Amino acid sequence: MDKGMSILVVDDFPTMRRIVRSLLKELGFTNVEEAEDGQEALSKLKGGGFEFVVSDWNMPNLDGLEMLKRIRADDGMKAMPVLMVTAEAKKENIVAAAQAGANGYIVKPFTAATLEEKLNKIFEKLGK
Amino acid sequence: MSGEARQAAAQDGAHSDDLVMRIGQLTRMLRESMRELGLDKEVEKAAEAIPDARARLNYVASMTEQAADRALNAVDRAQPLQNEIEARAESLDQQWQTWFENPMELNQARQLVNDTRGYLAAVPEMTRETSKELLEIMMAQDFQDLTGQVIKKMMEVILQVENQLLQVLLESVPDGEERDAMKRRMANADSRKGEGAGLVNGPQITAEGEDIVSNQDQVDSLLDELGF
Repeated sequence: MDKGMSILVVDDFPTMRRIVRSLLKELGFTNVEEAEDGQEALSKLKGGGFEFVVSDWNMPNLDGLEMLKRIRADDGMKAMPVLMVTAEAKKENIVAAAQAGANGYIVKPFTAATLEEKLNKIFEKLGK
Repeated sequence: MSGEARQAAAQDGAHSDDLVMRIGQLTRMLRESMRELGLDKEVEKAAEAIPDARARLNYVASMTEQAADRALNAVDRAQPLQNEIEARAESLDQQWQTWFENPMELNQARQLVNDTRGYLAAVPEMTRETSKELLEIMMAQDFQDLTGQVIKKMMEVILQVENQLLQVLLESVPDGEERDAMKRRMANADSRKGEGAGLVNGPQITAEGEDIVSNQDQVDSLLDELGF
């Protein structure tokens, strides 16, 4: 896997964005950008250059699930891997995310080891 | 007790009996008129929100406590390591200083070289440990996101309670300036009301319930079951 890949971290809480960014850095991924909701994320993604998205679910303006659906519906970026990192912990949430095409689902609070494991699993499946 | 005092006490008793009866009548009247206006339902709804609010506050209190404990424990583990790195470096530096001032004993120098190499080998191990603790301190800050989401929910609940109580007040206030002010406040509260929840509920404040997963393992096995 290419540790220089460009990753977009989407969360409305700055603390969580910092935590995810630091964990990614700890794992060797240094090329990380942030967005504070789905809308900002989509416009950044449309600008191009990103290879991976780590997103929260519950956000103002455009939530993570809706963002995921729009990514999958867009020919330009429908193949973009999306890892959901969210406090939403109902079974229907996990099912809905999987059906919408999420590549992974991490429930908060989570550990550094969980993030690493899920990233590796996604890259493995994508053959990177 | 004198006759006079007994008479006064009896009068007091009659007074308080009368008062109790009148309060009783007023209460019944109030309850009946509230029921007629459908306001008892509003008060009921407001009261129902309280246990939920209490559970949420409880969650916030325990999450913040856990986070503080995690951070403080990590500091407690990291500090001795930092102190050891510092103390051993100072001691070696002091010994080298002494030897350079008076470089006589070769044996002493050899020992010092060995000690110094041992120290240099040990430092990365200790700094790796402290880095681990720094990461732990950082991870402990995830409470801010989780409690923040719960607090936002609480604010919605408080807004609803405010609205329901205002509704009750509104019915009991005669037409006029005061009533208009209350109506404005209610309209304001209404416009601030959040959208319906659906799939966006924030953190689960208790791990109980059929449809709730309580950890990552359960998420993973559910996804496996579904074939994702």
